[in-house]
Amino acid sequence: MMKIRKLLKPLASLQLTVVIFALSIFLIFAGTLAQVHAGIWTVVDQYFRSLVVTIELQIFVPKDVATIPGAIWFPGGLTLGVAMFVNLIAAHAVRFKFRKKRIGIILTHLGVILLLVGEFVTGFAAEEGNMTIREGETVNFVEDIRSTEFVIVDPSDPVDDLVVVIPERFLETGKSISNSLFPFRIEMTEWMANSQMLGPKDAPESRKGIADSGIASELAAMPLPRANGVDGSTVDAPSAYVTFFDGETRLGSYLLSVYINQPQKVEVDGRTYLVSIRFARTYKPYSLHLIDFKHDLFVGTQMARNYSSDVRLVDTTRNVDREVLIYMNHPLRHAGETFYQASFLQGDAGTVLQVVKNPGWLIPYLSSTMVTLGMLIHFGIRLVPAIGRRS
Amino acid sequence: MMNKIQQILPWIVLVLAVLYAGQRVVRPERIESAFDLERFRQLPVSASGRTKPLDTVARNSLMKMSGRQSIQTDEGTVSAIEWYIELITDPEASVQRRVFRIDHPDVLAMIGLDKEKRTRFSFEELRIAGNEINRQAGLAFETKAKSRDPFQRAILVLNQRMSLFSELSQLLNPYLVPPLTSGAEEWRSFVTVLNESPNDPDAMALLTILQDYRAANLEGATEEEYEAGRLSFNTSLGKFAGLIERKLPYEARKSRYEVIFNQVQPFIIASTLFLIAFLFGCFGMLSSQLTKKEWSKSLFNSMTSLLVVALIVQTIGLVSRVYLQGRPPITNLYSSAVFTGWGCVIIGLIIDRQMKLGLGGIMASVIGFGTLVVAHNLGSSGDTMEMMQAVLDSNFWLTTHVVVVTIGYSGTFFAGFLGIAYVLLGVFTKMLDRELGKSMVKMTYGVICFATVTSFAGTVLGGIWADQSWGRFWGWDAKENGAALIVLWNLLILHARWGGMIRDRGLVVLAIFGNIVTAWSWFGTNMLGVGLHAYGFTSSTVFWLTLFVLSQIVLMGVGMLPMTIWRSKFAKPILPNS
Repeated sequence: MMKIRKLLKPLASLQLTVVIFALSIFLIFAGTLAQVHAGIWTVVDQYFRSLVVTIELQIFVPKDVATIPGAIWFPGGLTLGVAMFVNLIAAHAVRFKFRKKRIGIILTHLGVILLLVGEFVTGFAAEEGNMTIREGETVNFVEDIRSTEFVIVDPSDPVDDLVVVIPERFLETGKSISNSLFPFRIEMTEWMANSQMLGPKDAPESRKGIADSGIASELAAMPLPRANGVDGSTVDAPSAYVTFFDGETRLGSYLLSVYINQPQKVEVDGRTYLVSIRFARTYKPYSLHLIDFKHDLFVGTQMARNYSSDVRLVDTTRNVDREVLIYMNHPLRHAGETFYQASFLQGDAGTVLQVVKNPGWLIPYLSSTMVTLGMLIHFGIRLVPAIGRRS
Repeated sequence: MMNKIQQILPWIVLVLAVLYAGQRVVRPERIESAFDLERFRQLPVSASGRTKPLDTVARNSLMKMSGRQSIQTDEGTVSAIEWYIELITDPEASVQRRVFRIDHPDVLAMIGLDKEKRTRFSFEELRIAGNEINRQAGLAFETKAKSRDPFQRAILVLNQRMSLFSELSQLLNPYLVPPLTSGAEEWRSFVTVLNESPNDPDAMALLTILQDYRAANLEGATEEEYEAGRLSFNTSLGKFAGLIERKLPYEARKSRYEVIFNQVQPFIIASTLFLIAFLFGCFGMLSSQLTKKEWSKSLFNSMTSLLVVALIVQTIGLVSRVYLQGRPPITNLYSSAVFTGWGCVIIGLIIDRQMKLGLGGIMASVIGFGTLVVAHNLGSSGDTMEMMQAVLDSNFWLTTHVVVVTIGYSGTFFAGFLGIAYVLLGVFTKMLDRELGKSMVKMTYGVICFATVTSFAGTVLGGIWADQSWGRFWGWDAKENGAALIVLWNLLILHARWGGMIRDRGLVVLAIFGNIVTAWSWFGTNMLGVGLHAYGFTSSTVFWLTLFVLSQIVLMGVGMLPMTIWRSKFAKPILPNS
């Protein structure tokens, strides 16, 4: 028993606590500055949910002031979180005895442990997606706008469609894809992870005629660098030039893109297949029908006063069929998921709801109540008489 | 005899302070005019999404263009509302008014006004160079906001001011026509109504009023014409205002109240009182060194009197803003500065009650005054009660979040300023003896504890709001991170103290660094231009923030000078640290 205590002692020291705080402060500061040059999701993954982060020194000085090469390695958020966790547990194992007047500090620290666990759960288990619904439309899937899929639909069966989905990780320029589920071979002529779409007038000569079939052959897609969250580009919009072969017979070249809303037809042996590139979908047992989207402005200004979506929620598995108004600060909670008013389509033609599933969503509420309460008790009992007393 | 004076002094000061504050309320500045401009400026209109009196529109517009709420001419002062009614009824006269403030020498040179020894110019003077101003503004507009040079920024500001001038004079903005008898549901622009339905009764009533004013003040108007116009103006205005009173009683009442609020300017009164309180505090400090304890007590009590009156005035100001805006007390940087000062004054008064040293009050007066100066400068760009984007619309969690987290800022600042006082008193004076030092460290420690709890609770409330609003308790947004930094910094100080790593001096020096952390979280994070909270910032803020940070670093350095250099000598650290 004594041995364990001896071993734990350095881990339990307040010096270590202070060092962890100092490192965390620097990490958060750097992680804030990094957001000027990189998107928030990139930063969260690199800085706050990583073991080690490479902090580029350039983030501390604006680029137009000076160019600074080099970078330093620094413990990431995960490392510091775990260190704080270990330090706390060790401190309580070594030093703390349960006494009445320590109740505040124990409660606070338990709360902190729970808070760390909560962020851990959120980091690993939370899912976010979007539901884009036009007025009058019904949608029963959630889109993940951070990943894309290539979809082939065989609509020949009158009851069920046969849907084949190829995830983004298989999509690369020059790749050839074939499978027994569809009768043709796919040649990925050019895969663009992020792109812009140009109309027939703007399309450069070099891009004309790459696609000779389908509804988008007049358009041209140009590759763009991956979105980094700066300059308003937070979402990658992939496009691809794709050629289909039936054995050695060339069926045609198509331009597929998330910009193109409807699937395009590929015909083989008199059968029609529908192909498209779209944001990855997860189908749900419920559906939302958008009755009306409202975008109110303050009188005489272009400033938004409120956005609201009047939707009908239908879930046959749970016997739900009701009308709900989703608006700012008033989300809908259903089936462990929460639907927030996030954005809208051009011309107020429809709504974009953010759909979040976070099994740990209650943990921060509980833990922060514990911490606040614990601090109030602790300082309430001890603040007046005790100044700088060592535990 | 002396004793009596010492006892009475705080009461005399209290009465004087109340009188000073009260006379602004009881006898507000009235407008000397034969026309009922008093009633005219109370007329509610709709601008930037808020119903407000014409007085506010006139003041804010003039403030935006010229940096003042009135015009100084050779004939005397022209009030904002007089300027405004002239602007909309007599264009020939209004273009002669020097209302455009231009400071940039290159802009002046471009317009050909660089030989003039003044900084305010009339629309007519600028009209000559109108095309060039437009062209330059177009060029500046095409440049990305971040890479515009000072000239481009200045030209854009000038261009905006000129369009504001045109918008106002062409009656496009504010929306003047209230929904009274016409059957309309919302406020409408005067010009639009006249174009679309020329017989609209509400617009006609307004038109009559303006025509009367114009007729009476027209160049070459006879005595009779003037008198007839004046009478007609006052009568038709009275009728119109009466109708608004009946149909829109709530807006009318609020509008009247806002005019009083504009005249009283409670935050100006409060800052004057803070300044005087600070002087009393300094004298109190001095006399405590001259071993005249009775005098110092009397002076400190006088300071407290002033602070209490200032606090009441500031509270009335804050509550008025809440009433007028229908929003929580903190809606933008301006109001957060006012509120931070308010919180610090309360903390200071509580500390003084506990410790009876006068130090809390001195701190309170410094921070109270300082934050109001900061607020005044932040508010000079227009309406400080502007509407907010929908996502920042009112909500219980948001309201409690901003209030509690701002109190957390206040606490951290307060601790930092106590630290500064400790260092300055210790290094440059002999006042910091063992007893005072001990008290100040105690205070600082207590305030840090308080700040830790409030900044943590405030941050968490923000998390709850974020979770309610878009399903993310914590998003690592710049402002959220800033709040977390404050919490972590306070925790670092406390744990270092508990671990015996720092003693008295370490505590106060680290507390000073807390000022930098807070300033970063408060203003710095807004400058990054990322995240949801990036609501307002100007490049001069960068300058002042940098200056502030440097000054704090210098003060920390001073605090770390060897104890032998300190003028206050105390043999050993006061508190035992096992």
